[in-house]
Amino acid sequence: MDAYTGPNGDGQLQREFVERWRDNAYGCFSSGHKFCREVCPVMQVTRNENHTPTAFHANVVAMEKGLLDVADVADDYVHCTQCGACELRCPNTLFTGDFYRHRTRTVDVVKAMRALMVETGNERPGYKLWNERLAEAHSEPVLGDVVPSQDHVRDWADGLEIPVGGETILFVDCEAAFYRTSYTRAFAQLLQRAGVEFGLMREQWCCGGPAAEMGYMDLARRHAEHNVADWRAVGAKRIIAPDPHDYIAFTEDYPGYFGDDYEFEIALGVELLAELIEQGRIELTKPVERTVTYHDPCRLNKRKGVHKAPRDVLRAIPGLTFKDVDRVTQWSYCSGGGGGLPVEKPAITAEISRRRVERAAGLDVDTLVSACPWSERPLSEAGEAASIDVVDLFELVAESAGIDVGGARRGLVAEERR
Amino acid sequence: MSVAVKSAIDDGVIEELRAIIGDDDRVLPGISSRVNRTRVPAPFPVHRWAEYMPDVAVLPRTTEEVSEVVKLANRLRIPVVPRAGGTGLSDGAVPLRGGICVDVKLMNAIKEIDLVDRTVTVGPGINMLKLNEALRPHGVFYPDDPASYPCSLVGGRIGTGGWSLLGARFGHTRDLVISMQVVLPTGEVAQIGDGGGRKLRKSSTGLTLKQLFTGHQGTLGITTEATLELFPRPEVEFSAFFAFDEYTKAWRTTGALTRSGLATLAGVVLFDEWKLRYLRRDDEAYIPQPESVRAVIAVAMYGTRAEVEPASKRVLEIGRADGGKYLGDEISQGDWASRHDRYATPLHGRSLDGQAVPMSWHCEDAALNYSVLPQVREEWHAIVARYRERYGIFDDWGMFAYTNAAHKPWGDYLVEIDVGIWEQRLDDENWDAWVRCKREISEVSLKYGGSITACHGATRAGDAELVPTEMGSAWPVVLAIKRALDPNNVMNPGKQRLDEAYE
Repeated sequence: MDAYTGPNGDGQLQREFVERWRDNAYGCFSSGHKFCREVCPVMQVTRNENHTPTAFHANVVAMEKGLLDVADVADDYVHCTQCGACELRCPNTLFTGDFYRHRTRTVDVVKAMRALMVETGNERPGYKLWNERLAEAHSEPVLGDVVPSQDHVRDWADGLEIPVGGETILFVDCEAAFYRTSYTRAFAQLLQRAGVEFGLMREQWCCGGPAAEMGYMDLARRHAEHNVADWRAVGAKRIIAPDPHDYIAFTEDYPGYFGDDYEFEIALGVELLAELIEQGRIELTKPVERTVTYHDPCRLNKRKGVHKAPRDVLRAIPGLTFKDVDRVTQWSYCSGGGGGLPVEKPAITAEISRRRVERAAGLDVDTLVSACPWSERPLSEAGEAASIDVVDLFELVAESAGIDVGGARRGLVAEERR
Repeated sequence: MSVAVKSAIDDGVIEELRAIIGDDDRVLPGISSRVNRTRVPAPFPVHRWAEYMPDVAVLPRTTEEVSEVVKLANRLRIPVVPRAGGTGLSDGAVPLRGGICVDVKLMNAIKEIDLVDRTVTVGPGINMLKLNEALRPHGVFYPDDPASYPCSLVGGRIGTGGWSLLGARFGHTRDLVISMQVVLPTGEVAQIGDGGGRKLRKSSTGLTLKQLFTGHQGTLGITTEATLELFPRPEVEFSAFFAFDEYTKAWRTTGALTRSGLATLAGVVLFDEWKLRYLRRDDEAYIPQPESVRAVIAVAMYGTRAEVEPASKRVLEIGRADGGKYLGDEISQGDWASRHDRYATPLHGRSLDGQAVPMSWHCEDAALNYSVLPQVREEWHAIVARYRERYGIFDDWGMFAYTNAAHKPWGDYLVEIDVGIWEQRLDDENWDAWVRCKREISEVSLKYGGSITACHGATRAGDAELVPTEMGSAWPVVLAIKRALDPNNVMNPGKQRLDEAYE
């Protein structure tokens, strides 16, 4: 067998992939300890060695040795939420990473393999359909068969009188613009309450992050270019990203696309909110009589090390009983909502969320607070079965600030529109 | 001769497996499933990967499924290789003749927590850290604590006869298993314990079979359920590190500590000069010690406050009596807590000219008596130095000696020399060199009355050929048992020279 014979040509793309990732993969292959395995949310459910971070690296070595082809492993690489837990738990990263300037790059390997799958005609049907719809509508198909059109991309803000353009732009995620609009309305009204001046984009497209996570690199880049052009056209200098997924796209993907030619300051919603509360610009006076625990969204806690600000915000809400679980324990928690997993493997996402909610239920709380709209859809579905209310942090803060949020938590307004 | 050799798995076998398992997602004949159930973290002849793949993997959920799979294999003379975590440091879970890999990771349920008779019953696919997360609210814990604590699984611990860092206080895996359900090589299911009771620790009825089924390296069956010991969570932990300017002082102090009679002593670890040099390779893996430090001892105790607090004073006295210097609370508490992770990172590999290259880890684990440690240490380092110089792909990562016997820490030690191996450079010549190096190390252990392996299993080239020598007059007994239980040699065939049972 020619090790590099891909289905679409002479295998040059696979050869380049192996050359690009081989050395990083050997860091894992040579170690082989598999400390990553029991923190991996997917592996905890499937218990299938094919779906482990270790396998994602070992496969690169096996490709080099001529044992595997991209087609052989395409389905395996769908089994990842790109939460980053494996990288944190990796002994190479944890103990010697900064000394050797080495980081085990599992998330990037998964993204690169998915890109190779697209380039070599091994794309997954669910991903393909999802991204075809994105290419047409420029927003992700978060409403199923209802096409989320650009005509409605600012409907979530009805009645809030937010201008278009300005130096500070609020970027609104697809899920948050069309499905969980209460999240966005809560955040925007909290900014208004604090007197922060901000505007919306003239034409907001998807950030492109999920397309990149699923391997559709050209599509992702096209969306990034559009958004950056829109920001520049209104003279924007600062972008507020309430959604952790957008924050990853703007601070990791976009600098990669544009290099030095990327001049924007990116502010993370929850950190900005914590600052505004601390400065006394938002007063939380209305007690919220709930017993809650906090779900560390993976892209905040594991990918960006953001765990303090959301806890500070929760502790500032009067009336709340907060039963915390530390951030390191939560390395092994996930909603299963990220990295395109629910697009291809919805049953695994549902099971990951079910287990997460079960852990919350074990703490005798009535509410699970998250800070990421992508987690809140599967967690809410699991929460319903377990009688646990799943609420976003912004929504809770808005309630305590006496704001009547409006909007929809589960796409209901959008349903009505249909 | 009815010895199963390289298997002949065809579509008919796959169909039969699918009928047994009843779920196509748990019968995995695809190449990626096979590639990823081949190696373990031990050095691996990566250039000959394809020779070690199973032909198919199955992920059973029940004892009945395992039993039916093994019956099928026995009927058709197909090799069966049990696999739990695949984190072993010898080749127990590496298929030598293809066949069916029975991967038990989905059998990870906690079936019963009995706080009255103090047992927990689990499937073999559960990890100890995860188990202890579930036990914590009940104030109890399962103290099997290897370096691979966050990733190895109970089934593999039983199969390899694992060793625990806390074994001197709480016992090792075989001391912590009370009874288990085992699928024998013919597919029959047996309840194995001490006598007949599932939750009894001591009996004189029949034969003591439990020891036979812990540490057989998957050659006598597959554990599908285990009833394990529960201990009260210790009230307090005390750990201390002592530094020495020469090895012999540290060695003498180790002896004194282990003979102290302190019942809460959970383990003593002796680091030699090479190990300290290795740990100094970066500034984070170890809090750096001055060059005058040539050996270190780590001690840990667990128990009630009433026991540990006075005992800790005694440890501090003994640790300092022969020139030892207490290294302070920060390193003592911090380093002990993270000991599991710190040794053997591939990035610490060094080529002959000092360049950092990714190396995989060989962890020798001989069992040796206290009296011979200084001599074995010198001979082992000399062997590794010779191979390192000649081939340039090996690296000496130093030595540890750990208290080895359960509850009796004074007499023998798990002695480890860690060798880095640059896998990217492996070809037949270099691999053969490694096997020779490995064999020479083992031969030294045997020369001094030791055992090749305290816990990893003598299943790999360089060890396996010496097993009959080490077992000596007991070897025919071993062969008779293997032949009686596994008449067709289907259970993990080719390991430890057990093929001799069929000659």
